[in-house]
Amino acid sequence: MTTQDPVSAQAALEQEIAQLIIDTLNLEHLTVAEVAVDQPLFGDGLGLDSVDALELALALQKHYAIRIDSDVKASRKHFATVASLAAFVQEQRSACGD
Amino acid sequence: MIAFRVEEWRAWAPGVATEQEWQAWARSPCVLPDHQQQPECLSLPPMQRRRLSRLARMTMEVASPLCGDDEQLPFVFASRHGETTRTFNLLGDVAGEQPLSPTHFGLSVHNAIAGQWSLLRGQRGESVAIAGEADTFEHAMLEASTLLAAGASSVLAVIAEEVPPDAYNGWITDVPFSYAVALRLGRADAATPGTIWQLDLDRQDGDTPPCPWPHALDFLRALQTSTPTLQHAWKKRRWQWQRT
Repeated sequence: MTTQDPVSAQAALEQEIAQLIIDTLNLEHLTVAEVAVDQPLFGDGLGLDSVDALELALALQKHYAIRIDSDVKASRKHFATVASLAAFVQEQRSACGD
Repeated sequence: MIAFRVEEWRAWAPGVATEQEWQAWARSPCVLPDHQQQPECLSLPPMQRRRLSRLARMTMEVASPLCGDDEQLPFVFASRHGETTRTFNLLGDVAGEQPLSPTHFGLSVHNAIAGQWSLLRGQRGESVAIAGEADTFEHAMLEASTLLAAGASSVLAVIAEEVPPDAYNGWITDVPFSYAVALRLGRADAATPGTIWQLDLDRQDGDTPPCPWPHALDFLRALQTSTPTLQHAWKKRRWQWQRT
């Protein structure tokens, strides 16, 4: 059995999350390729707002069976970009014994 | 008795959107096949468009051309059944003990579309959302008249209904197809172009049959075919329309 290269696993997770963002938030005008992993999701970046944050948290919890605390400061950091979200999801999955 | 001027109108239904198409429908009204088509609303930026439901898109489509970019108009949104598709999905989530989507929950209230109109078009004036029975249209006209009487020079009223999910078959019988009608109404005494209509409410004692079409669409039909009078009966109410 081969272990997946951690770099490509990370990239795959990022793509998956970008697609989840597009599908969940009806960003029908965008493709995964157009959402840079380090682009800010909120405010001046992609332009998401606070309702999107709630919606996205719900989708991530459903999709990855993880828990997201309502710690605003930590969440702000985790939800900054696709890359930070992917790192957060990875960390939560490991914590849940994935 | 109330009276007002119909300054302008727009309407949308599946496959029927232009004035010519509505004239053809008015001459021979028929049930339009509803395949979930919806206006694209391409004039709105994608980030604003993405939260609009089908009913909201229909509303924006008909209301937008009747309000200038530099104009503030009181807004009446009227729908008997409202966002049945959205609320039915939410009820499904409740039944399945699933968490509710904050977006869908937030936009499931009856005045959400009026709120989106206000946000998207920078409208800061009065807006009201009403739901009545099969004569919701006449109640919307009454509401608009009160706004005119309170001093507004024009009022924008939208009557919108969407064909509900199948589960409502047999319960909701007055939406033959999805439609939205926008009327820009002005005071009867103003010197603006348009047709003046009088609306009276009488007590309905006899057995006047209900109108075969939604009242707003029947009014649209009358508007285009120069019909001088209309009678819309519902329960104990008989609404008498007269062109003057």
